[in-house]
Amino acid sequence: MTTDVATADVPAAAPDERLAYRGPIQRLLVQPEIGALLGAISIWVFFWAVTVPFGTAIGTANWLDVAATLGIMAVAVALLMIGGEFDLSAGAMTGATGILVILLVKDTAGGGAGLSLWIGIPLSFVLALGIGWFNGTLVERTALPSFIVTLGAFFVIKGAKLGFAKLFVETIQVGRIDEGAGHDFWRKIFSSVWTRNDHIFNSRDTVYVALLVVGGVAILLGLLELTYRRRASFNPGGLPIAGIGAAAGLVGLFALHGTEGTGANFIWSIVMGAGVLIGAYGIALWRFEPNPDRGALQLPGGLLRPAGLGTGLVILGVFFGLILDSAPALKPDRTVDTIFFLLTEQGLRAILFVGLSIVGLVLLLIAASRARNFSSTSGTVVSIYTAIVVTVLAFIIQSESDAPKFRAELFSVLLLVALLMATWAVVGLYFEQRRFPDEAPDRLGRVLAIAGVVLASVGVVFRLLFTTDSELPTLVGQTQFRVSILWFLLSAGLATWVLARTKFGSWTFAVGGSKSASRQVGVPAARTKTQLFMIVSAAAWLVGMLLAFRLQTIQASTGDGKEFEYIIAAVVGGTLLMGGYGSAAGAAIGAMIMAMSFQGIPFAGWNSDWRFLFLGVILLLAVMANNYIRKTAEEAS
Amino acid sequence: MSEPALLELEDISKNYGNIIALTGVTTLVNAGEVTCVLGDNGAGKSTFIKIIAGAHQQSEGILKVDGEEVMFDSPRDALARGIATVYQDLAVVPLMSVWRNFFLGSEPTKGFGPIRWIDRKKASRIAKEEMGKMGIDIRDTEQAVGTLSGGERQSVAIARAAYFGAKVLLLDEPTSALGVKQSGVVLKYILEARNRGLGVIFITHNPNHAWPVGDRFLILNRGVSMGNFAKDEITRDELIMMMAGGAELEELTRELEQAAAGDEALSHLAEEFAEEVGELEERAEHDE
Repeated sequence: MTTDVATADVPAAAPDERLAYRGPIQRLLVQPEIGALLGAISIWVFFWAVTVPFGTAIGTANWLDVAATLGIMAVAVALLMIGGEFDLSAGAMTGATGILVILLVKDTAGGGAGLSLWIGIPLSFVLALGIGWFNGTLVERTALPSFIVTLGAFFVIKGAKLGFAKLFVETIQVGRIDEGAGHDFWRKIFSSVWTRNDHIFNSRDTVYVALLVVGGVAILLGLLELTYRRRASFNPGGLPIAGIGAAAGLVGLFALHGTEGTGANFIWSIVMGAGVLIGAYGIALWRFEPNPDRGALQLPGGLLRPAGLGTGLVILGVFFGLILDSAPALKPDRTVDTIFFLLTEQGLRAILFVGLSIVGLVLLLIAASRARNFSSTSGTVVSIYTAIVVTVLAFIIQSESDAPKFRAELFSVLLLVALLMATWAVVGLYFEQRRFPDEAPDRLGRVLAIAGVVLASVGVVFRLLFTTDSELPTLVGQTQFRVSILWFLLSAGLATWVLARTKFGSWTFAVGGSKSASRQVGVPAARTKTQLFMIVSAAAWLVGMLLAFRLQTIQASTGDGKEFEYIIAAVVGGTLLMGGYGSAAGAAIGAMIMAMSFQGIPFAGWNSDWRFLFLGVILLLAVMANNYIRKTAEEAS
Repeated sequence: MSEPALLELEDISKNYGNIIALTGVTTLVNAGEVTCVLGDNGAGKSTFIKIIAGAHQQSEGILKVDGEEVMFDSPRDALARGIATVYQDLAVVPLMSVWRNFFLGSEPTKGFGPIRWIDRKKASRIAKEEMGKMGIDIRDTEQAVGTLSGGERQSVAIARAAYFGAKVLLLDEPTSALGVKQSGVVLKYILEARNRGLGVIFITHNPNHAWPVGDRFLILNRGVSMGNFAKDEITRDELIMMMAGGAELEELTRELEQAAAGDEALSHLAEEFAEEVGELEERAEHDE
């Protein structure tokens, strides 16, 4: 029944009946980093909701900076853990490399070696690699657990830091790096900053919105490609409809941009939404096949129960939200200054409203995905019903909330979600879901989805980096993005590429997954592991340089005890403690999660000591979620 | 036979100190033939494997590859001569995908200069094709090997050995951990490999698995070769008798009967066993 698709070299073999087609969402869930990504999004939303500055450029620069030094190490440690080893000396090594380079370039009068930075920096790099080589070789030669070997290395490095600091500079604070020749040049490499307020770009918001819209459309198209069956020959009749939709969407967008006032905004939003809907339908008509067997509307009890319960919970949530707010004395002042806010009546109101609505919506979504199994008509009806509930909820929030970001931002986000759900449902009504993998559309779908994510991210970066004239007077502090963020993104990207695409990456998974098996097929296991240790020490060197150039003076205790934070970040990011499974991108996201909670807690006005409690909870939740996701994904595959 | 055999063993013996692990083993492996090595536990099968795989050296006797006398110093040495061993643990990494496992250690790369990356498309395509030649259709080579069935996992290891230029495949008990159906699948792969012109050494303790695929049978019992037969020189029942050691079977029957005295359930079992052994003996004699 599958018509032959325009795939080039694949022979027209009958699809393997044992292999069910997995939808794009399901395939995404097999990725080790997906649990961390969902966690990162919810933590971001949480702190965005409870604090004022977290979502702004200042807050973002703040937590990204913390994420950077943590993340560079977490990525390297994740590689090592995938390779089946630990390095407990990683934290102490960051401080040690910083102290080392300062001692190398410090004036001879002050106890240093008086070298130029041009010599000191490469030299310290080589020495750092030497530490990694030593760790790796010792682990390989003695066949002792790396846990114990690197614990020894940790104390050796910690002691050496203190001892040499006292010996050469007679204090445990080692400074300063600017005594070295070539400081001006190297400071730019390791410690330059981008000051947002110095860069004014008045069309920033236009670029931002345009990129977000284009990115969103690309993601939508990509998902369509990944989900529905392609026609053997395209139907050009869909193109004019798509054109009309796109035109309506653009008109709505520009009108929205050019007008002021709630009424006009409302009308043009509807025009834009209708445009998206019509456009998506036109594209689907052009490229995909209608469902020959649409099926009648069926609403059995297994479907009505979750849908009804979900609706009930949402109504209950709204009810509590309205009732508990009736006492005007309890109107919250929006500076939430204690974590015990959650125990007050206002907190109870928030918990009940948010919790009940979210559970209700999840139940509705479950009902929608179940309904699709009965018939596509049922799926559409339940999805559109859910979209309507989301819309109503958005309007209730808009009319009732006194926090501007809920009134405006959350309102728009919820409307957008409702719009996408409705679009998805309407398109799904006519077009069959694929049952078999299909390589060419999959590739296009992936490219579109990735391009969409990239475009949207570039839009967000634009908004964060630049400022506008109208914004300038309201800016409180200077927003500075440090170059360490760039180093972080670079190393995370490089590590992800190495893991996925190179021999070394394959070998890393292999030596962690089964060392004896990889030996038998000729993987140089000892060399691979030693190189992994050297990668960790190289990362520690990079962090050491970033610290040295930022702080000028390094404490002898810098970095001690951080090694467990790196391991936690890697585990939160989906890396298996036993090795053989994990991802570098996940570790980077794990580092972001930790940085967001470290910085978000003081932003919320809570005592920052709470962060350890938070950290523990996140770690436990992440491990359990990862475990669960991996199991379901593997069962499904 | 004009061409020399792929692998020839003449009177191979192996001592570990004063322990004689293997004595007087002679057999040969031809291209496009399956040589089965049968033996119960402790028969000397693992010593046999280790000598051919190059992990140990024989104490006495001659090992010939393509008619040329050799002595393997290491597994790498044996591999270089085209003898690939598929061990019971298969040397696959369960959490890694099929294509990564297939090419592990010898990944095809592309790129420029020192910056090289894996040619994923090529690796995935070849893995799929090679598995296809073994008669197994892997739809998604990104699938983790751990999610494959035991027989399919075996086929990954066999297909990999065949692709990387093995002339002789040494399979160590490939069916021992498998169910009836999966064993059948593996036997099919053995025949596929044979049909592709490889010499296969199939080590097993199950004569029912050896008989349908074997062209030649080497029977080991307690380190001693009980004989080396071409398929037309021996019957299935003789094979089973010889493998278990006829005299020992009878002794076992007696012991079982003694132990069963007084226990009804056990004595029933002993009776059945005795009957089976008797039948086997009868048939073996009849065949002769």
